[in-house]
Amino acid sequence: MAKFFGVVLDETRLKEIKGTPLEEKVEPIFGGALKRLVIEVPDELGQKVIDQFTKARFDARGFIEETPAAFKRLVFKKIVEKKSLGPEVIEAAIEEIPSIKDQIEKEDRELPVPDIDISDILELQKNPVQKPA
Amino acid sequence: MPDVRIKTLPPPHGGKLVERVVRDPQMARKLMEKCSAVYDIKPTLFKGNPVRNVYREIMSVCYGFFSPVEGSMTKAELESVLERRRLLSGWVFPYPILFDVSEEDFKKLGVGPGDWLLLRLKGQPFAILEIEEVYEITPGDVAVRTFGTPDKNPEVVRVPFDQKHTGYNIYCSLNPIILAGKYTIINEPKIRPPFDRFWYPPKRAREEFERRGWTTVIAHQTRNVPHTGHEALMKNAAYIGDIKPCDGIVVNAIIGAKRIGDFPDEAIVEGHEMLHLAGYIKPERHLVTITLWDMRYGNPIESLLHAVIRQNMGISFHMFGRDHAALGEYYDIYATQILWSKGIPSFGFEAPPYEVDGGFYIRPQNIAEFWYCPKCLEFAYSDNCNHKGIYSRYSGSFIRGLINEGVTPPPQIYRPEVYKVVVKWWKEFGYPFNNEKYLKEREEKLEVDMPHMELPAHLKK
Repeated sequence: MAKFFGVVLDETRLKEIKGTPLEEKVEPIFGGALKRLVIEVPDELGQKVIDQFTKARFDARGFIEETPAAFKRLVFKKIVEKKSLGPEVIEAAIEEIPSIKDQIEKEDRELPVPDIDISDILELQKNPVQKPA
Repeated sequence: MPDVRIKTLPPPHGGKLVERVVRDPQMARKLMEKCSAVYDIKPTLFKGNPVRNVYREIMSVCYGFFSPVEGSMTKAELESVLERRRLLSGWVFPYPILFDVSEEDFKKLGVGPGDWLLLRLKGQPFAILEIEEVYEITPGDVAVRTFGTPDKNPEVVRVPFDQKHTGYNIYCSLNPIILAGKYTIINEPKIRPPFDRFWYPPKRAREEFERRGWTTVIAHQTRNVPHTGHEALMKNAAYIGDIKPCDGIVVNAIIGAKRIGDFPDEAIVEGHEMLHLAGYIKPERHLVTITLWDMRYGNPIESLLHAVIRQNMGISFHMFGRDHAALGEYYDIYATQILWSKGIPSFGFEAPPYEVDGGFYIRPQNIAEFWYCPKCLEFAYSDNCNHKGIYSRYSGSFIRGLINEGVTPPPQIYRPEVYKVVVKWWKEFGYPFNNEKYLKEREEKLEVDMPHMELPAHLKK
């Protein structure tokens, strides 16, 4: 059974593929709340990706997940360069993993905290329903 | 006609709740006088990282979560559990519960059968182990037999376990000397926030259910911050009940050393709590609880432990989904549902665990899957929704990947308030997931603070 590699597209990524044949391949998910491109990869290549990263795994949908964000950025870059969603994109990205090694290591230690106001939940938590015994 | 109403909570597994906690300091001192040595509890390490702390097992035994187990298993009990998933008394129990020490520590302690060993946690007296037997194990052998093999358990084991499996590593990393005997906590640890408000040992859980007038309760096992699919699962599974849906939905989070890349336990318990604080489930119907246990990710085997824990808490039904308490592709993704619908003979279950001698009163609610369907306009059940190519399946790994990339999960995936809980703990720990730094710090602090207790003079030497 083939495996899949998904790349979620934010506004910047959508702009980069605007007007290219890739634009037609964009899949809406969760009712259009997110958009993505999907690369179908043979089993062996899928396993090769998993073997590159300690946390990576196939999920129940057959998608390769929990690869570093730096690797996903690299895959997207290769998609744009090759204008393709073929397995050669993944092969090219794997070859360039040494160039993103530092980014991957940094990712394991720190990820920037989103700038989101959480005061409303802190307020809710001031009066928890469940109390310590 | 038989009455279909469920009027009482199920009995504890084994018939009686174990409670081995001494709360009287004078009695504690008397018991300590009988001890001949002191041992400082150490974490079990795999490649230098903590993967287990036996104190969690001692807590779960002494507060009755693992009733009728009362301590570290004897050799005969261990064999019985590994061979047929039964205690010597005949009650179903899935996992070896062992107090392991290194050969070096064993020599230093100089203890043997009949001796009492005082166990210290975070530098303070914590519990007593009444040593009944001392024996040796081969940890790798225990690991393989605990989880099964494709040859011996072909119904559900797909590939041999290896070092990518956290539970397997836990058993492989045990020390070879086992001190078997009953545990008694003599200095009650204080559960630290935020876990303290979720601490409902079986006795307290049953009292709480009675206070709320609950007789039908369904359990949700979790190791995740709840996405909307989990929420749909909880709400829909709870329709089982008797003449009406279940009175209560109890989330029971397994708290302990976990896989790098999972969410921190703090975010998990508060994420679930947020579902009632933010009004998605009425708090009168929802209770978030914890059990201390270093998860073994044993899918069908783990589901048996979940049944033990939750029946002891007084819970009548248990949700079992796809890939229950699983990691990787070692087991069939429906292994737990196979066990709870027809049994797994090679693991000692010719019938489901509620139909065998020594089995459970708790009943399974085997659930397929929920997904988001924009045409149904709901978090749809997979056996209902037929909109292929339109619906989106949930995947915890996918969601963690989104967060890793800095993408805010949309409300179709996370309630906004729940995601903010993730962000709260992300700010606190500087990272949204368990990493080596978090696991090490957590191992130092644990989930408890230990009150000071003076050692008896003869143990100070």
